[in-house]
Amino acid sequence: MSFRTKVFLSITATVVLAVWIVAAVVSTLVTQSFERRDAQRTAGIVSQYRREMGRRGEDVARRVKAVADSDIVQRLAVNFNGPVDSSQYYSQALALAQEQSLDFLELVGPDAGIISSAEWQARFGYKEDWIAQPTDWNAQMAFLKKEDLADGSALGLIAVRSVKAGDGTLFVAGGRRLDKEFLDSLPVTDGVRVQLYRNFEPLAPADALVEEVRRQPREQTRVSGAVTETAIPLQGREGQLLAILLIENSRAELLSLRQYIQTTAGAVGVAGVLLGLMLSFWTASRVTRPLRDLASSVREVAAGNWDTRASVSSSDEVGQLARDFNGMTEQLREQRDRMIQAERVAAWRELARRLAHELKNPLFPLQITIENLQRSRDAAPEQFDEVFRESTSTLLAELGHLKTIIGRFSDFAKMPAPQLEPVDVNQVAREVMQLFEAQLRAPGQPAIEIKLQMEAYPGEVRADPDQLRRALRNLVLNALDAMPQGGTLTVRTSRHDNKVALEVSDTGQGLTPEECDRLFTPYYTTKLHGTGLGLAIVQSVVSDHKGTITVQSEPGKGTTFRIELTT
Amino acid sequence: MRLRGSAWLALSSFLISSILTGAVRPRYGGTLTVELSTAWPTLDPAAIQTALSIPIAETLVRVSSHGETEPVLAVAWQHDPDFKRWRFSLRPKVTFHDGEALTAASAAPSLLAVLKQKYGEVSMEAGGQALVVQADHAMPELLDVLALPSAAIVRKSDASPLIGTGPFRVASWEPGRRLMLAAFDGYWGARPYLDTVAIEFGAGRGRADLFDIPVGPARRILPEGLAMWSSEPRTLVAIAAVNAQPAQLQALALSIDRAPIVNVLAQHLGDAAFGLLPQWLSGYAFLFQSTPDVTRARQIASQLRPAAMTLSYPASDLFLRSVAERVALNARDAGIAIQPMPGGNGNLHVNLSMLEWPLESADAADALKRIAEQVGAGDRARQLDPAKPDTLYQFERSLLDEYRIIPLVHLRESYGIAPRVHFQPSRSDTFHLHLEDAWVEK
Repeated sequence: MSFRTKVFLSITATVVLAVWIVAAVVSTLVTQSFERRDAQRTAGIVSQYRREMGRRGEDVARRVKAVADSDIVQRLAVNFNGPVDSSQYYSQALALAQEQSLDFLELVGPDAGIISSAEWQARFGYKEDWIAQPTDWNAQMAFLKKEDLADGSALGLIAVRSVKAGDGTLFVAGGRRLDKEFLDSLPVTDGVRVQLYRNFEPLAPADALVEEVRRQPREQTRVSGAVTETAIPLQGREGQLLAILLIENSRAELLSLRQYIQTTAGAVGVAGVLLGLMLSFWTASRVTRPLRDLASSVREVAAGNWDTRASVSSSDEVGQLARDFNGMTEQLREQRDRMIQAERVAAWRELARRLAHELKNPLFPLQITIENLQRSRDAAPEQFDEVFRESTSTLLAELGHLKTIIGRFSDFAKMPAPQLEPVDVNQVAREVMQLFEAQLRAPGQPAIEIKLQMEAYPGEVRADPDQLRRALRNLVLNALDAMPQGGTLTVRTSRHDNKVALEVSDTGQGLTPEECDRLFTPYYTTKLHGTGLGLAIVQSVVSDHKGTITVQSEPGKGTTFRIELTT
Repeated sequence: MRLRGSAWLALSSFLISSILTGAVRPRYGGTLTVELSTAWPTLDPAAIQTALSIPIAETLVRVSSHGETEPVLAVAWQHDPDFKRWRFSLRPKVTFHDGEALTAASAAPSLLAVLKQKYGEVSMEAGGQALVVQADHAMPELLDVLALPSAAIVRKSDASPLIGTGPFRVASWEPGRRLMLAAFDGYWGARPYLDTVAIEFGAGRGRADLFDIPVGPARRILPEGLAMWSSEPRTLVAIAAVNAQPAQLQALALSIDRAPIVNVLAQHLGDAAFGLLPQWLSGYAFLFQSTPDVTRARQIASQLRPAAMTLSYPASDLFLRSVAERVALNARDAGIAIQPMPGGNGNLHVNLSMLEWPLESADAADALKRIAEQVGAGDRARQLDPAKPDTLYQFERSLLDEYRIIPLVHLRESYGIAPRVHFQPSRSDTFHLHLEDAWVEK
């Protein structure tokens, strides 16, 4: 994993963590805030319904009072004398109830017998014993009561008012039905649904909260999904549980708002993360760019480009590192230059030594011959001609030798650029080895066996055939020189992938590692009369062909040179 | 036959009213306005079941409130010992409203349809004013049949919806809305006092000279000075068993308190019915009288543990609805669940049915037979002998003991009468209010 990736991931993780923490905090705060608001709203709605129920109760009481004060009831009370003939009042309660918009109305005599009933007209004459109990009904507020009807039962908000009738009391009990219509008539609050569960009839599959309130009649609130439920027990005068009012306050709006906020926060978070990613990417790039530049410079230097300099764009640690790197490469370059200079001096010394050595050997015979001519002319003029002929012959031979030496150096100095063309390596190898066959078979030559191991189809390489033959010839000469006592010379071609290898092996004394390291150095030779240019020329040819040359040797086991050229 | 006290009371109230106005001498002329709460869709005498006699068409004979057969269009009749052959002598010089003379031939078509419906194959011989009715089987109650409104002698004509021989003829007729009658100057009897009678249907405002007082819990307070006439109880209100166990019905019958039904729901316009026939008709109805026994009813119900029953009533009849609700309330006290529901016998889920039976005939045996036929006991009723009241009692007792039918109340038909309206008090029919006996002051 690259440094930039590490920096990128680190910054990204930091940003994501930060965004997540912020989102979590925002979500928690929003949730808490909404829960508080929901609880306040629910409490407000419950309070509103309680107030409305109270107001409706007052309204019922007022209407019942109006019935009690009506002329009909007052006349009934005034004329009251003993049992009342219900036939005169059979429909009276219904008419009065309709007049006062009451669902329930009963006129009850002092004996608790119903004189007239609006909700169940047929019930005249029946007793309402509860109403005759000693109670100051005129001071009583409306209360809940289960009302028996012809078709079942109903829940009513009932008020009772009494009217003095002779020695007794006439009762007017009226009220309104507490049912769905009643609930629907209450002020509507958006998102609020009110249900009434009557406790005196089999409940439909009821809410668990309703069941709970049935067991323990007290107001309870519960949050259930998208609804906040509040169950209010509705009790009668004697505390009996008559019904349960279930107020369902929809949390959809709050949830929607919360969802919106959380979604927005999420979107902002995602945007923040994306922005953080881009920022971290940019930051990572910006932070690591000097390092990458520095690393690139290091690679350049490692590749030999000593003039490479790292850019210094900041004054921080990285900039200091770049400056130190530049200082270091400067020092290395200076050391390299000094080393090259030293090597050049050493090379020139070696060249001078070689030249001195190479030239001294022919010059000494020349000096001897010329001195011999001078002595012969002075000492034996009669023999001078003969000595002159012999001496000039020697002088020419040595001058030829000098010329040869100088020619070799000249050749090395004047290596031409290769003329590339498709070349069959096997063909080159055979041609070169044919040149040496006559030399090797000449008398007095050490017994050297030649082996040609050619790849069947090595393919062609793009090379200069003359230079390739020259390089091979030098390797063969070098191998022959390594086997003065005879041996085996092996020339081998092979192909590996897109490369063709040409190997020349001898079975001579081999080379030490130190010798191997210096083999391709110009003018380095292990031979007494070598110029040290043969293998240097070979390396120059191989290098000009974009190839490689390697040597493998062990003392006592011969040496193998391997040239690899690209097809 | 004996009249029950309440019937006498109603009759006496009318007579008292007449006596009070007796100083006013009858006069001819004037128009009587009438308001009837129930609309008549047709003038077919068979379809009009009312105590207010609208004398457009007449029958050969009629049955008085005392159960006696009186001549109308037939002045004499004889029958053979087997009651298979009857000979009627029609009243001479009787003309229809269109001027056609009444003869045996013109009367026969009106009778033939009724008699064939009653007796099956019947033959008639018409000759002049003599009309012979003959059948292969006995027709002992033929006079009762001929006294029914459905046996009225009418003529078919496109010129008038109904052409009879009665003291009033149809002047104009708007079905269900208005009927104008005019005195028939060619009437064989005395010309009616009134020149015209204007009858409005469905008005119910009580502003007319004569108006009906519907039975029901809605109390109608008559304006001061108006008299009220009530007929003898002429309608039986009862519960018919459609699909219920006798024991259930017994418990139900024991639980019902009829007094509130009569006094409050019927507004005293009827009598508690413990038997099928009213006292004035049977003379033995008092023998069935009983009091509610809720304790016994609850015992029976507790042993049965009966399922809830439904009690249907005619949807448009508020009175029967209120009675049904009261019966359900009484039944609940005995532990019997009854659900009143509007509808008829066509409902498969009906256990009980609240019905009204008009007592068309003033003959006890005939009325009992008609009720028996309604509850599926018509075959047994054929053996009733009008001459033997004990057989009527035994038969009615058996019907009641089977609880096929639970009588609740016998209703009267009542009318409010304006002070300017007077009726000739000589007629002995307390079953009908005869317009031909009415006159109005100027």
